[in-house]
Amino acid sequence: MANSADRHSAHSRSAPGASGRGRAAGPTGLIFFPAFDWAISPTHPEREERLLYTRDQIFEEGLLDLPQLAEYRPRLADHHDIARAHFCVPSIEAQSTEAHRIAAGSTLVLVDALEKADIANGFALVRPPGHHAMRVVHGNRGFCNINNMAVMVEYLRTVYGHRRIAIVDTDVHHGDGTQDIYWNDPDVLFISFHQDGRTLYPGSGFVEEMGGPNALGRTINIPLPPETPDEGIHFVLDELVLPVLADFAPELVLNSAGQDNHFTDPLANMCFSAQGYAHLNEKLRPDLCVLEGGYAVETALPYVNTAIIQAMAGLDYSHVIEPDWAPDKFTLKPSVKRGLESVVSQLLGIWRQREPMVEAARAKLGDHYRRQRMVFYDTDMIEEHQEELVRLCRECPGFITLSTRAEQAYNPLPSAFCVSVPIQACPRCAREAAAVYQEHKVAQKHDYVLLQDRLRDRHLRFHSATQEEMEY
Amino acid sequence: MSEHRAQGATGDGRMLIGIDVGGTTTDAVLIDGRRVVSEAAVATAPHNLAGSVLRALDCILESIRPTQVQRIVLSTTVITNLLAENKAEPVGLILLPGPGANPSDYGLPPAHIVHGAVDYRGREIAPLDEAGVRAAGAALRAEGLSRVAVVGKFCQRNPQHERSAKALLLEESPDAVVECGHMVSARLNFPRRVATTLLTLATRDHYGEYAREMSRALRERGLCAPIFVLKADGGTLPLDYSLRTPVETIFSGPAASTMGAVALAPPGESFVMLDVGGTTTDLALVLDGQPLLASKGARVHDLLTHVRSFAVKSVPVGGDSAVRAHEGVLTVGPDRMGPPACLGGPFPTPTDALRVLGAIDLGNAEAARSAMAEVAVALGTGPEGASRRVVDALASTIAGEVETMFAHWRDEPVYRIWEVLREEHARPALLVGVGGGAPSLAPAAASLLGMKCLVPEHAAVANALGAALSRPTMALTLSMDTSQGTWVAEEDGRGGRLEDLRLSLAGAEHMALEMLAARAEEAGIGSYAGDALVTHSEVFNMVRGYSTIGRLLDVTVEIPAGILNDWSAAHGE
Ligand SMILES: [Zn+2]
Ligand SMILES: [Zn+2]
Repeated sequence: MANSADRHSAHSRSAPGASGRGRAAGPTGLIFFPAFDWAISPTHPEREERLLYTRDQIFEEGLLDLPQLAEYRPRLADHHDIARAHFCVPSIEAQSTEAHRIAAGSTLVLVDALEKADIANGFALVRPPGHHAMRVVHGNRGFCNINNMAVMVEYLRTVYGHRRIAIVDTDVHHGDGTQDIYWNDPDVLFISFHQDGRTLYPGSGFVEEMGGPNALGRTINIPLPPETPDEGIHFVLDELVLPVLADFAPELVLNSAGQDNHFTDPLANMCFSAQGYAHLNEKLRPDLCVLEGGYAVETALPYVNTAIIQAMAGLDYSHVIEPDWAPDKFTLKPSVKRGLESVVSQLLGIWRQREPMVEAARAKLGDHYRRQRMVFYDTDMIEEHQEELVRLCRECPGFITLSTRAEQAYNPLPSAFCVSVPIQACPRCAREAAAVYQEHKVAQKHDYVLLQDRLRDRHLRFHSATQEEMEY
Repeated sequence: MSEHRAQGATGDGRMLIGIDVGGTTTDAVLIDGRRVVSEAAVATAPHNLAGSVLRALDCILESIRPTQVQRIVLSTTVITNLLAENKAEPVGLILLPGPGANPSDYGLPPAHIVHGAVDYRGREIAPLDEAGVRAAGAALRAEGLSRVAVVGKFCQRNPQHERSAKALLLEESPDAVVECGHMVSARLNFPRRVATTLLTLATRDHYGEYAREMSRALRERGLCAPIFVLKADGGTLPLDYSLRTPVETIFSGPAASTMGAVALAPPGESFVMLDVGGTTTDLALVLDGQPLLASKGARVHDLLTHVRSFAVKSVPVGGDSAVRAHEGVLTVGPDRMGPPACLGGPFPTPTDALRVLGAIDLGNAEAARSAMAEVAVALGTGPEGASRRVVDALASTIAGEVETMFAHWRDEPVYRIWEVLREEHARPALLVGVGGGAPSLAPAAASLLGMKCLVPEHAAVANALGAALSRPTMALTLSMDTSQGTWVAEEDGRGGRLEDLRLSLAGAEHMALEMLAARAEEAGIGSYAGDALVTHSEVFNMVRGYSTIGRLLDVTVEIPAGILNDWSAAHGE
């Protein structure tokens, strides 16, 4: 992996820029995959029409003719690529349609282009979205089945040897799926700002959610009050997100670029503008962006996407003004500002204390950590019960086992026992995880026993009824 | 003007003429519908194109009466040359860009920016600044510019602002010539529409002169058959009709060669067309007998346009390219220092290398040998060895470009699931060489690529043959918005209220085909309307809240490029 070493130095933090990194040379890679032949249902927000006007605007602007942009053709992600990120029950085939595999595969095309230094940065402007899809997938949650971002992160780590990665989720909804997948991973910093979970789906993303015991502080949630305008989001960005990123010094910054903070979005209540989004992108300088939500198909998406593409490509975005927007349309109320200041200072405090917090948690918990929880899948009306056990290891982030049982309309769905070996696993954890997987194959307590071995990039599915084991 | 389709008629005196006016030679062929009767190539006199055409005609018309000729097709580089020589007319530019990109990022010539905007669905989002239009008009008048292009973003979906601006400009300067973007192209891509409108105005007067000169010359020879020109998409258009959009005739040279290769290759075959000329080699991809069109329009010098064109790749090497060797390093082209040494030129060329190797029998062998001897010294080898290296270098450059072309074709972006899943088209295994340099170079390139090679009879005049045998093409895009109750026929700016808001996609396709037939009739190619195909058809339900408020229908129909029936029938099996 000589290649990855070059990338690391290419992304060193010496160059100027608001986040401390300069823009590398080369065009911005773009994959535009509107999936014009796919919908959750005919009138669902996630339908064929969603990116139609965005296509019209981007094509009419002639952006793809500019030397600052390079358009790529999407491809299908393999089941193997998805297996690195998810435990799909009963199978990956059952949970991922071709549309999902193309959306996820698009991110991988851009990773390859970035690693070859063919592009300076890239934007997968694709649907369906992914950030509500968790580690375990029984069905669709919040319009998501497959977490495109996580598939991309695991590809970056497995194929290109990256280690420290930061994900910044700028969708209006809490990126609870991505948070779940990286909850115990100290090398992936997950930052999400979103409309306060007390007022919006999925009802999570509070300051207190800050990561598993071995990775405390590496999950940062910034709930924002409804109607927060550009100024508020930029305050959070400048005072918290950018300083934390500079401190964490990731090899790559990735952006879950949802666009539903827009003041016209029908599913949320924020007051962000196209200018606000573009300026955010310019400050954050993400290496790769993936579209998440955003459902104001006419009033927001054509403008926000155009402005983000321009910002990534270093083009002037100041002419992208929504027809019903003016710079003074929304102002930051003093009370909201005070609330944001308090959230920021609280989170900065947590960030600074992350190492002592991890030490304290280890001292208190010993060699393992167990939790039980319920996960609700709104789109598919599935209720899932999980029991999670994390090995707390001093040599590595520790392996995870999960027992999952779910029901849909009072009918039980297939159950699964899942074993996840982190890519940083120490030999002992890898050995023990393998043994646990074998034990559960014999135990016959679940319909499926699944192994996700990121260390060896080997992903197995054992079906108890037929005693058949297959490798993805 | 109307065209008589020579159905099944051969041997009864119905003749077709194709003429390709190239930079170095003017090629002409006479065809009786099914076979080549005579062919000729004469040197092009750059400042007397009509004279060159007449000399070529005189060579091929010896054996027949001019009245026997049923159709004449010209392919021409006149537009290309005008632009290359900076002889195009100056044009003033007024843009209505609305929100979006900074117009200065487009790399277009300086423009007057006027406020007023239409959105992606053709709805006005800011009224036209009429005072701004008048001020821009006055400024252009002061600069002495009487030709003005007015182009608005999304104005193809609602031309009202462009029309109002044009009316205002003509009110102030009745003698001005104003062209609107929506009349030139309807495809999405504002900067390309600006460039295409600009080029249309910049070349129309010169092109008109050329067209009149050609008509006169042909009439002088007693030829009264309808005259057509070949477009970059391999289709023919009546000469008179082409005056509206002269820029479509740009690059008709490579289109002519490609169509010639289609006529000469086995029917329905997939192949790479290789046209080896004096200083350039053109490559095109033909799939199942149909040349691949560029997904966007052609690049015209430094401007990207909406001109429909074959996906032709021009490589700046050919039989006349200058060959140089310095300290063991060999270069071929891109410049031309004159004709090959074997034809009295000053410099060694690939043609001389081929002459030394005995691959061709052209000009003076001794001159070729002594020119190559100098190259051989610098390479530390003999004239044969040096010649072989020149041919290998040229063939490997061409082979590399063919690989690049395949890669581009494979990596073309797509926007639908079925397009991602579609089986990849098998890569063609055949190389068809046409043009003067093909017999010797095409086999060498094919062998490097592991492809079969075909250099057909009449390959040297494939371009003129392609022009003679090409059928007319025409395209039309119809867009409908049932929630607004509107339709626009994009290529001619016509539009109106939709009578039937429940119109099905099939109904829209039918409507588009009827409109295309009417336009074809108007252009004198009505008899080909029956060949029109639906090439793109999409419908989107518009949903607001959770209910459907209307549909957007978009249909493109076209009469595709093809070879005249008589020839195809005769060469079919
Ligand atoms: Zn969202
Ligand atoms: Zn360990």
